[in-house]
Amino acid sequence: MFFRKHNREPQLDTELRFHIDELIEANIAGGMAPQEARRQAMIEFGGTEQIKEELRDVHRVAILDNTLADVRAAFRFARKSPSFSMAVILTLALGIGANSAVFSAIDAILLRPLPFPDGDQLMRMRQSDRRAKDSWSAVAPVRLEDWNRMNSTFQAITGYYTEDETESSGALPEKVTRASVAPRFLEVWGVAPSLGRDFAPDELRFGGPGAVLISDRFWRRRFGADPHAIGRTLRFGKYSTTIVGVMPASFLFPERGVDLWSPVPVDAPYAQSREEAWYAVIGRLKPGVKPPKARADLATVQASLGRAYPTTDADLNVIVDPLKEITVGGVRGSLWLLYGSVSLLLLIACTNIAALLLARATHRQHEIAIRFSLGASRARVVSQLLTEALLLALCGAALGFVVAKGAAMLFRALAQDLPRVEEIGLDWRLALYTLACAMAATLLCALFPAFRATRGGLAGSLAQATRTQVSSRNRLQLALVGVQVALAVTLLSGAGLLVRSFQELGRVSPGFETSHILTFHVTATWGETNDMKGLRQRIQGTLDSLRAVPGVEDAATSGTLPGVPEHNQTEFRVVEAAADPARRIMAEGRSVSPGYFATMRIPLVAGEVCRVTPTSLSGVVNRSFAETYSPQSSLIGRHLLLPGVPSLPPIEIRGIVGDARETGINMAPLPTVYLCDSTPEPDPHFLVRTHNAPMSVAQGIRRKVREIDPGRSVFDIIPLEERVGDAFAENRLRTILLAFFALTAVSLASMGLYGTLSYLVGVRRRETGLRLALGARRGQILRHFLMQGLGVSLLGCAAGLGLAAALTRLIAGMLYGVSPSDAPTLSGVILLVIAVAAVASLVPAIRAARVEPMQVLRDE
Amino acid sequence: MPSEKSELLQGTLDMLILKVVALGPVHGYGISLRIRQISKDVLRVQQGSLYPALHRLEKRGWIEAEWGESDNGRQARFYKLSSRGRKQLAAEETNWRRLAEAIGLILETAR
Repeated sequence: MFFRKHNREPQLDTELRFHIDELIEANIAGGMAPQEARRQAMIEFGGTEQIKEELRDVHRVAILDNTLADVRAAFRFARKSPSFSMAVILTLALGIGANSAVFSAIDAILLRPLPFPDGDQLMRMRQSDRRAKDSWSAVAPVRLEDWNRMNSTFQAITGYYTEDETESSGALPEKVTRASVAPRFLEVWGVAPSLGRDFAPDELRFGGPGAVLISDRFWRRRFGADPHAIGRTLRFGKYSTTIVGVMPASFLFPERGVDLWSPVPVDAPYAQSREEAWYAVIGRLKPGVKPPKARADLATVQASLGRAYPTTDADLNVIVDPLKEITVGGVRGSLWLLYGSVSLLLLIACTNIAALLLARATHRQHEIAIRFSLGASRARVVSQLLTEALLLALCGAALGFVVAKGAAMLFRALAQDLPRVEEIGLDWRLALYTLACAMAATLLCALFPAFRATRGGLAGSLAQATRTQVSSRNRLQLALVGVQVALAVTLLSGAGLLVRSFQELGRVSPGFETSHILTFHVTATWGETNDMKGLRQRIQGTLDSLRAVPGVEDAATSGTLPGVPEHNQTEFRVVEAAADPARRIMAEGRSVSPGYFATMRIPLVAGEVCRVTPTSLSGVVNRSFAETYSPQSSLIGRHLLLPGVPSLPPIEIRGIVGDARETGINMAPLPTVYLCDSTPEPDPHFLVRTHNAPMSVAQGIRRKVREIDPGRSVFDIIPLEERVGDAFAENRLRTILLAFFALTAVSLASMGLYGTLSYLVGVRRRETGLRLALGARRGQILRHFLMQGLGVSLLGCAAGLGLAAALTRLIAGMLYGVSPSDAPTLSGVILLVIAVAAVASLVPAIRAARVEPMQVLRDE
Repeated sequence: MPSEKSELLQGTLDMLILKVVALGPVHGYGISLRIRQISKDVLRVQQGSLYPALHRLEKRGWIEAEWGESDNGRQARFYKLSSRGRKQLAAEETNWRRLAEAIGLILETAR
């Protein structure tokens, strides 16, 4: 710009001097003396400098000047009509705020890599048994070492498992969560301790010195963040271990609640079996390696292991998934659903504002006409109208950022169980996103009204009288209202279906009684499995003393919680029947203590409840199992084998129990085999049935457990109803949020309808007055405007239903007990929207009917 | 020089410039000269209005400018009509005729 300006200056000089020279020459030709000719020419020409300045002005109308002028005008405009500005700003703040808040969750949870160096290189590996479909399990330590040694695509592979323990070096025993980790743990994560050091090689050998890394949280809680905590010892039962380091506060894997990490020696005698399933396995890919290559590599490795160890490894597959996928894959659908709904909400807000701007443009017709007549180009006028909208949108976005901040905090509080929820925050990425939202909103809301307002240029706008405005623009405004109604109906349909599913879920009879059950754990270690007899005796003793606690009716243990989604599909074989390869017996396997059925009130259908005997195994099956796999003959007295666990003796079926929705309230009961085993692991779930409110016996249980074994603590004391509810926490949160967005959408749409209709009533006041003066009845006027509002809403509803039919298919997988085209839900939605629309139309319609003809005619 | 000089109506200067430029490439001095000659000395355009108007019209793309040599060999800026300018001129001419006719009618009847 400056370059061109400098370039122009001599040109201006030359052009003007030419004119003066011509004048002088003409004067000389007319007979004047040269001196006089020059003087006259100067007089005639006028002030050269003044003209030059004017010429500069013509050219100076460059981008920067224009923009500044636009911004100034926009501020003037915003101040001049505060209520309009506030309406736009608040609507946008709501729309952009909700959108940014959900985007912050999407960004933190789904879009960003995991919070580790090159987090996308981290893979989760599992082994699956080809014979048991859909089943996978943890990995034996020796196999993990084989994978790590034989592969060519990973930098390193490690693993971990967690267990809860009692730490007793302090004044009181404390329950801590320990992650026992395979070698190379920190190497795989790419994270170093913030204080102290990683495990030393001799600490990774069996019989070497014990060592633990502690979490930042534990460090602050127990040692008040004292740097001298390094070197102190922690005590677990008979063993003491030394603290060698503190992990950074941001290191929350594998689980949020982990307090300490300790290594498991590879050469420990108890870690040599290929059938032990211990580790969740994590590997870090070499740079540039993609998951499919790693999959092929590990498949080759496992195939050669299968040849080396045919009995244990021949039937195993390796599953490799990006760790991020495993971590966040479960909530992806819900988050995108929410994002979709807030985007619809923002679209409604924009449509609303577009209608407002259209109405506004009518009032400004005169102003625009004047601008044109003063020589403004259409681009200039459009750019000014857009700048006005942009200013409002930026204010809305700034406010929206505040809304998003609040909403993100609320979201974190509501969705504590969501993976990576602690990573949600407001940062420059979100600020940029919010800004982009404001830009998009400006274009969406303002571009079209601006072009319409300036259509036809000078002649058009002057010709258009401001008097009667029953033009196509009003039809357009009504159409925009229809669009809002349609989008609101779409959102409300989705929300309605989710709410209905939730209701259906509450109505299901699960086949067991969740009320009056308290669940908890008692600290234990896997080391106790060295003495299975002692472990069984301990659990049995605990169960017996629990039954003696006042208020407790019955007590049981179970490897899994009833009603909380968890699958354990296992293949079974009936010993007495010929094996039929075409018809494999697949069933859920659950380990429970004999008292489980009485405690959970699962009825016995035939035979008797199983017993725990030291020499043989017994179990019961549910009705589905009996009906599916042995409809003709009774199964009682027969024996089941698990082909996947050849070492397990046959299980005698002693009875048949009723079907229960053990794998989730929303899942139909599956064929299930209950194995009678009160100690499937040292730390099973304890379940007690109480006479009164479950939590009322918590203190008694604590006291009793301390009484029989002072070294153990009771933790995770939670009523079963809450556990089952928590299993649907994400579902519930999603439903609540979607319902909230949908209701916001409906109120925005009704505001849009009200605003537009009020505007139309205002514009047509003169016409209405005239009609009344000519004898129209007030009822007719009322009906006319009411029908206009209702008509457009009905069209919107129809379009919304069409849109909903297309979109609710996306959430079909999230529905339970209702179909995406559930008639009661959809008709309820329509009724609600029409009722709201009727109210929103009635007020302006009544105002129209109250117009005083005399008043209007006098105003003329 | 006649003392009766008529004021130009607001907005008509642009039309006159376009009309003159439509006759062929011409410099600023030439334009002022021709308006004076054709109007038989009734209309005289001030240089203070002429040049801003020329530059404005150029900026709107109705006329185009380029440097060239005048009859007496001096550097001068010549203006010529663009195709958009031609359209604009036609529109303004029609508009003007209608207006003039209307005003004429009123003056006739008022007589």
